[in-house]
Amino acid sequence: MAESGEFELLGRMTIGQYLPTGSPLHTIDPRGKLFVGVLLVLTTVATGSLLGLTLLLITVVAGFLLARIALRYALSGLRPLLPFILILALLQVFTIPQRGAASVLWHWGPLIITDASLLAGITLIGRVFAMVLTLSLLSFTTTTTELTHGIEHLLLPLQAFRFPAHELALVAIIAVRFLPILAQETERLMKAQASRGADFGRGRGNPIRRTRRLLPLVVPLFLVSLQRAEDLVLAMEARCYTGGRGRTHLIQLKARHRDYAFVAALVGIAVLAVTLSVISADHCVQGWLAGML
Amino acid sequence: MNQREAPIIAVQDLWHTYLAGTPLETQSLRGVQLEVFAGEAVGIIGPTGSGKSTLLQHLNGLLRPQRGEVYVRGNALSRRDAAVRGVRQSVGLVFQSPEDQLFERYAGDDVAFGPRNFGLSADEVRERVRSAMEAVGLPFSCKDRLTWELSHGQRRLLALAGVLAVDPLVLVLDEPTAGLDPQGRRALLRVLSAWRKAPGRALVLASHNMEDIAEICTRVYVLSHGHVLLQGTPREVFARDDVLAPNGLTVPAAMAILLLLKARGCQVPTAALTVEEAASAIEAVLHG
Repeated sequence: MAESGEFELLGRMTIGQYLPTGSPLHTIDPRGKLFVGVLLVLTTVATGSLLGLTLLLITVVAGFLLARIALRYALSGLRPLLPFILILALLQVFTIPQRGAASVLWHWGPLIITDASLLAGITLIGRVFAMVLTLSLLSFTTTTTELTHGIEHLLLPLQAFRFPAHELALVAIIAVRFLPILAQETERLMKAQASRGADFGRGRGNPIRRTRRLLPLVVPLFLVSLQRAEDLVLAMEARCYTGGRGRTHLIQLKARHRDYAFVAALVGIAVLAVTLSVISADHCVQGWLAGML
Repeated sequence: MNQREAPIIAVQDLWHTYLAGTPLETQSLRGVQLEVFAGEAVGIIGPTGSGKSTLLQHLNGLLRPQRGEVYVRGNALSRRDAAVRGVRQSVGLVFQSPEDQLFERYAGDDVAFGPRNFGLSADEVRERVRSAMEAVGLPFSCKDRLTWELSHGQRRLLALAGVLAVDPLVLVLDEPTAGLDPQGRRALLRVLSAWRKAPGRALVLASHNMEDIAEICTRVYVLSHGHVLLQGTPREVFARDDVLAPNGLTVPAAMAILLLLKARGCQVPTAALTVEEAASAIEAVLHG
């Protein structure tokens, strides 16, 4: 099968997509999902232990099963990141401060691998996977409308301090809505200019020439975006948009028992993951690694 | 028209799936067969989402065949080493609202973009710009005008000139008259039929506007759910209201009026494609 993705900009992006499988996870209150999503990402950063990370990874994989979405699809979105993740992990393995307590597993000239550094490398990979999978799951199961409503509601308490919660949510929704439109326009313009012999190929020529080659793409893209923005302003004006004050929503968010149960369960898991790293259960993993090599 | 010759473009059993292997997978083309011969004006009609645009993008190698084959002057486009640049030179593709792709400050520079990309000398480029602008009915002096000063209809003609300046054998257009006023539409259709008259050239036109198709096409393909439902001359295809209507397609307005008259019991022949033909058919009934 020949490559056909020369101009496909949207196809490769998985994060940010919404996949309507109609699972129980889709019907959870978006505020709950947002809160849990942010909490889990913070937990992956906070937990330094492999055990804690494993717990988080199992949780998110269970989430994928529950959402009836193939894990393979989320992983395919990770593929372009893989080289960077591996390079970062290798850097960790070879440069982590060689603490006195760590035992050397392997060395060759200046290159030394200790049990601590190997563990750090593995932890880094686990962390990135847990984070990306969590955020992917959030976007796969939540529409952009739900997300922005969620953000607005979560920020609402801050309005007491004159924080523009509604405006911020609106900016967020417009930005998110514009992204796929811009990607589509870019694809269309790339194809149109390529039909006139334009070559957006990589590499050749000095930076100035390479930038010049993008002009046929960038100039029309700006014009089209400005036009779209103007249309949007007109549409909002025509519907007498006056900002958030006194505005009601078509969909009233209402937390039910199951939403509370969902949040409580995941807060529990997060606490457990952090506790695991605090009591430093990794000593046994380190010992196990050393024993294996 | 000589159908014995080899076609310029041959599409054989073409399949295309968007986002294959993801939950968002959509089947766009399912085994399309299509041929374009020199001298023809091929129309492609079909409801939104029938795969028209996907098919058009295969004709100049923007999309490569996933299954099946597209031959352009004998070049098999599914091959990795296919000469795609040469194919894009011989098949010019004009997208919907092509005026969006203009980017140069001066009109002439934008028309020159294509010929320059294909490596022509300054003199040749100048000559190509002149003949392309004249072909679309813009005076050559327009080349020094600011692109943004031109009217909407003029900008579309300018964008068309930008593709014609590459001097393709086949011109492929997606909804060329959408959003134009009647005068702009007439001008564009005139340009297209005149351009096709030169020997060896062919036109492929996807449109929702049945009047456009009836007016300039010599052969029509009806696309539905990614495969060819019908093909034939406009007269043959538009006679099949029984196939068109269930697929959300209409016949040209002139023919629709005759069909209505016939339904009311008036014995008129219903084969007319243009207003003039319909008028003479009605006249014949009134006087005869």
